[in-house]
Amino acid sequence: MPSNQSAFGERYDIDTSAPLPEFTTLGGDAFKATDKERPGKDIYALVHHPSIPLRNDVYKTLKSRPIANLVNPIDRGLVNLDSKGIKQRLVTIFERPTGGALFGPDGKVNPRVNTNKLRQSVVLSALKAIAAVHKRGFTHRRILPSNMFFATSDGDEVLLGECYSEPAGFKVPFALEPLKLAIADESSRGEGGIEADFYQLGAALQSLYFGEQLWRGRDRNSVLMARVNQGSYWAISGGREIPGALGNLIRGLMADEEDERWSAEDVLDWFEGVGKPKRTSMKAWSMNRPTNFKSIAYVDRRLLADAFARDPREAAVFLKGIDFPAWVQLSFRDEILTERLEALLNVKSDGGLGGVRPDDYKMVARVCMFLHPTGPVHFRGHSFFLDGLAATLADAFARDDRDLIGVILDLFDEKFLNSLAEICTDRNTQLLTQVRALRPIMIHGASKQLGRGMERVLYALNPILPCVSQKFTNVWIGSIKQMMRALDRMAENGSMKNVLLDRHLAAFCSAHGSDLERDFSKIAAAQNDPARLNSIGAEFLGMLQRRFKLEPLHSLTEKLVDGLGPSIKALKNKKRRERVTALLEKVKKGGDIHKLTTELNISRIQVEDAREFSQARTAVQKLDRERAKLSRKILPTDVDARAKGLSWGRWLAFFVSVFIGFMTFVSA
Amino acid sequence: MAKKKDVTPMRMRRRMNRRQEVSMFGPLLFASLIGLAIFSPSGAGLALIGLAPTIVLGLTAKGPNKSERTQCVGFMNIAGTMPFLAQVIARPNDLMFVATNPINLATMYGAGAVGYALVYVGPMVAAMVMQSMAQERIKNINQQKQALIELWGPEVIGDKDGGEEEPAWAKGGRHPGA
Repeated sequence: MPSNQSAFGERYDIDTSAPLPEFTTLGGDAFKATDKERPGKDIYALVHHPSIPLRNDVYKTLKSRPIANLVNPIDRGLVNLDSKGIKQRLVTIFERPTGGALFGPDGKVNPRVNTNKLRQSVVLSALKAIAAVHKRGFTHRRILPSNMFFATSDGDEVLLGECYSEPAGFKVPFALEPLKLAIADESSRGEGGIEADFYQLGAALQSLYFGEQLWRGRDRNSVLMARVNQGSYWAISGGREIPGALGNLIRGLMADEEDERWSAEDVLDWFEGVGKPKRTSMKAWSMNRPTNFKSIAYVDRRLLADAFARDPREAAVFLKGIDFPAWVQLSFRDEILTERLEALLNVKSDGGLGGVRPDDYKMVARVCMFLHPTGPVHFRGHSFFLDGLAATLADAFARDDRDLIGVILDLFDEKFLNSLAEICTDRNTQLLTQVRALRPIMIHGASKQLGRGMERVLYALNPILPCVSQKFTNVWIGSIKQMMRALDRMAENGSMKNVLLDRHLAAFCSAHGSDLERDFSKIAAAQNDPARLNSIGAEFLGMLQRRFKLEPLHSLTEKLVDGLGPSIKALKNKKRRERVTALLEKVKKGGDIHKLTTELNISRIQVEDAREFSQARTAVQKLDRERAKLSRKILPTDVDARAKGLSWGRWLAFFVSVFIGFMTFVSA
Repeated sequence: MAKKKDVTPMRMRRRMNRRQEVSMFGPLLFASLIGLAIFSPSGAGLALIGLAPTIVLGLTAKGPNKSERTQCVGFMNIAGTMPFLAQVIARPNDLMFVATNPINLATMYGAGAVGYALVYVGPMVAAMVMQSMAQERIKNINQQKQALIELWGPEVIGDKDGGEEEPAWAKGGRHPGA
């Protein structure tokens, strides 16, 4: 935890004792806030939950150019908050509409809402906001009755609530999502299209008209069946008609077929009274012959796909028990099951031998994609839109749902995903693009290496997600710089043993930095050697400090130097040990970890020391051997002594003979 | 046809050199005697008589250091023979007189005996000298070892269990950042 409040925290006074439930979202808790520089301004603070990814692009565009009739973010920053202990959290300050929510968090509709206001103010205000949002290139996807507010307590101006604190369509109630997206898991709806916003507007208007939470208390499967069979408008209203022009509008907006759903132009035409009421129909999803699955006769292929998806084991048994080509021919007379498609679907009966194999789940997924090509990928009891996988994975990690993480990992089979994309290639071209986008990320999934694995996939898919490691529950780490500073503070207060072996931290660093995988491999390889782990850790952090141009990190340096103690102690050479200790003391004062590694490459020193020690040992052994050899008594009979003695004697005799010869012949 | 390489091991070559050394002294002596016989037959005669210990040793010696032993005896024997050889060369008629004089013979053979003495005393002296040199070297080794212990600690002599083995990561010369 940083000891001082940030400049942002100094400016905004957040009253955590005054929650604002109408502005609270799944992504964060809203509190009353005051801008000390502009005390009169109506604002609120949203304290983000670290496990929910934000829509950062939405923030950027709205911050730079706010949109009318939308609750725009004003500023954001890290704040130390006293909520069940002091925690550092990301807080976004929003403009605060003061007129209250159209549908309160207590489940009651605002008394100021009536049919006239809905028809005149709400639709127009929402349309303005939606059109502006779409013009910026993104969708709102959180147009809920509870996320629409009167701008003031006395005016009719309506604002759409913020849509940045959670992923698009994240856990939006089933009834308030267009049918196509609603079929997917609630955390995996993906970005959706602009049509989805218009559906949500229609569904929100419908709930506001009836003054009821129409999305509450109804079983998903029964609502789905009703929505498919009767259309969403009728299914959600419970068969109740909305008379007049407003009914036309809502019916148009809630059309289940995207090309029949009303757009901004249609709504404008409706305003001017020239709009022709669009006919809503249920198009070509019916099969020519009902299929009995689990004692229910299905005629709609989307429903059959969903039924298969809910019970893939039974579906696998069912598919293996039928003559698939004949079934396709009889059930889908308009479609031709080409050899290529048949090969892609690869439905094989196993003659009743064996149970459900892992590949059978993929077979069911392929058949589901064939049945509902524009729908989600149905796999092992889950339904995902691939662009919603990021949110699903974040949610799975937040809930520590290992099963779901395992399912997503199994889904990361490029061949399988490509086959799905090929099956629906005529009606869903987006899937292939999404598979291609996933390709560089999913290769990390199955890896057990530090810095890779599903944690890496999590951070690669959600670049805005802070590091959700258990080691950093009290701090918000959104970048490597913040991580380094957090480590510095952690070093100041306590132990940071094995912090670099944390899978989340490693994955976060690898996703946010470049070429860090090799460093983490080295760190993982050294995990059983504390001295080496310390020195490699110091090198790694030093490299990060230099690469991200960080200020001196005194506590971290001190901790690392202390951590290097065993490494230094393990150095065998006394002189080297003394020299390194002196240098470490010098670096400790500077706070520059990079210097610690450049001026004092511990790993190199260790290797050098070990090598020289080995040489010294060899030298000592040689000396010992030589001494042992020299220590024994030398006798004249020893070969060496004898050879030397005779050699010396020979030379002596030679010189004597030369001398005598000289004296005899020359001097005479 | 490719030239055949000399693949004789070094140790064998050294042995061959030693044999060559033995045969060098003999042929030289033989050649000198022939030369002397041409120049002074009387001198050659005296040399044959005076150098009898060397010739006998050269022909009968066996075992290691045969060459050195022969040379020791030979050079001393030559040293003892040389003054009388000069006398006989100068006055060839004195050959019989010189060769039959017991003192002369004792001098020539005594010199040979000194050569023999050198063969026995040499290794003793060498052993003593080598022993004394070894003591010096041991002192030097102890100093070197002490310096290494001071620099590297007692582990360098294998005092600590941990110091026995080089750390696993240091084996194979892996370099940081490699």
